[in-house]
Amino acid sequence: MMERTTFHRSLPAIALALLFAATLFVAFVEVDFGEPRIEEELPVNYQPGEEIDTENITTPGLRYLANSSEETGSANLVTAVVVNYRGFDTLGEVTILFLAATGVGALLSFIKDDDEKKKKKILPPSLILNKGARLVLPLIILFGVYVFLHGHLSPGGGFQGGVIIASGMLLFYIAEPTKGASHKVISIIESTAGLAFIGLGIVGLMTASKIFLANDFAGDWGEVGMLVSAGLLPLIYIAIGFKVGSEMTGLVEKMRGDGS
Amino acid sequence: MNELVFIALATLMFILMIALAVMVIRSKDLIKAAILLSGVSLIASFVFVLLRAPDVAMAEASIGSALTAIILVFAIKKTNRFEEGGEEK
Amino acid sequence: MIAINVIIGMVLIIIGLSFQVLGALGLIRLPDVYNRLQAATKSITLGAISIAIGVGVMDPTLLTKAILVAVFLLITNPISSHAIARGAYRSGVPLWKGSVVDKYGPALERKEREVKE
Repeated sequence: MMERTTFHRSLPAIALALLFAATLFVAFVEVDFGEPRIEEELPVNYQPGEEIDTENITTPGLRYLANSSEETGSANLVTAVVVNYRGFDTLGEVTILFLAATGVGALLSFIKDDDEKKKKKILPPSLILNKGARLVLPLIILFGVYVFLHGHLSPGGGFQGGVIIASGMLLFYIAEPTKGASHKVISIIESTAGLAFIGLGIVGLMTASKIFLANDFAGDWGEVGMLVSAGLLPLIYIAIGFKVGSEMTGLVEKMRGDGS
Repeated sequence: MNELVFIALATLMFILMIALAVMVIRSKDLIKAAILLSGVSLIASFVFVLLRAPDVAMAEASIGSALTAIILVFAIKKTNRFEEGGEEK
Repeated sequence: MIAINVIIGMVLIIIGLSFQVLGALGLIRLPDVYNRLQAATKSITLGAISIAIGVGVMDPTLLTKAILVAVFLLITNPISSHAIARGAYRSGVPLWKGSVVDKYGPALERKEREVKE
C-alpha cells in the first residue's frame, strides 16, 4: 500500500524526466560532436617510439599518436586527448564533480549537530603541528599550481593539481580546527573558473574552425615543449585546476562541519 | 625494465591489493577499514606507474589515498565507529 | 670501470635500504604505539632520505629534485609522527607495561592545574 502511493507520487517526476530526455534527444540528434571515428581493426601491439605510417592510419588512437603534437602543440598525449580531442567530455566531468559537491552540501545542510554527546571538547592542535602546517602549506599549493600549469608538458593536469591544492587545504583544516576559508570566497573562485572554462570554449566557436572548445592557437605562440606552446590548453587547465581545487576544498569543509 | 622483474612486481602488487581489500571487507572497525582502503589506492597508483600511466597514478594517489580516506573518516566521526555486531571497546 | 658517483650512490642506497628493513622489523617487533613510532620515524626517515640522495648522486640531473624530496621528508615525517603520538596519548592508548619514563602525562596534569587556578 505504501509502495503504491509513493509510486503514484513519483509518476510526474518520471514523466518530467522522460520529457527532458526526449527534448535533449531532439535537440542534439542533429549536432555533430567532433570528427567521426575511424572504425576498423584495432592495431596490432604498438610500441611507443615506433615509427607510424601516417598514410594508413586505421584507428583513432594511432591517429592521435601520430598527429597530436603538431595539431595541439602539447607534449603530453594524455592532455591532448583529455582537453583537446575530448574537451566536451571533460566539461561533462567537471559538471559531474560540481553536482556531486552541491549534492553533498545540500544533504549536509539538513543535519544539525544538536547532539550534546557528540560535541566533545576539541583538542587544540599542538604548536609543532600548527607551525609545521603553516610551513608546508605554501609549498604544497605551489606544487599543485606547478602540476596544473605544466599539464601539457609533464604528467599531471588540472584535476591532479586541483586535488593536490585541496589536500593542502585539508592539512590546514587539521592544523587549525577552528578556522576555515569562507564559503563565499570558495564559491566565487569556483564559479569564475567554470565561467572561464565555458568562455574559452566560446573562443573556439569564434576562431577559424568554429567548433566549441576548439584549439586554434596550437603552436602559434611557441615550439612544442615550451610553456606557451599549446594554445588554449594551459588556460583551460588553469580553469579546471582552480575549479577542482575549490570544489574539493568546499567538499572537505562541508564534511568537516563546525569545529571538527 | 626487465620483463621478468616487471611481471614479478606487478603480481606482487596485485596480490597485496587483493589481500588489503579482503581486510577492508572483514574489518569491523570502520576507521581501520578507511585507512586500509587508502593503502589499496596507494598500491594501485604504484601499479599505474608500472604500467606507464603517470597521469592516472597522480590522480589515484591524491584522490584515492588522501581525500577519500579523510572524507570517510569525517563521515565515520559523525556516525558510529564500529559496525553492528562488532565489539565496542 | 664503474664511475665513482655510481659507487657512492649505490652505497647510499644500500645504507638506506638497511635502515628501511630495520624500521620495518621494528614496526613488527616493538610492543606498543610509542615504541613503534620510534622505528617508523627515525630509521625510516633516514632510510628514505639516504635513498633519495643516493639516486641523486647516481644521476646528477636528478640531484635538485632529490634534495627537495629529502628536505620535504625531513620536515613532514617528524611532524606527522608527533601528531600521531599526541593523538594516541590523548585518546588514552596505554603505555607498554615495561616503560620506564612518561614525562608527558605529569606535564599535562600540571598544565590542567594551572588552567584551573
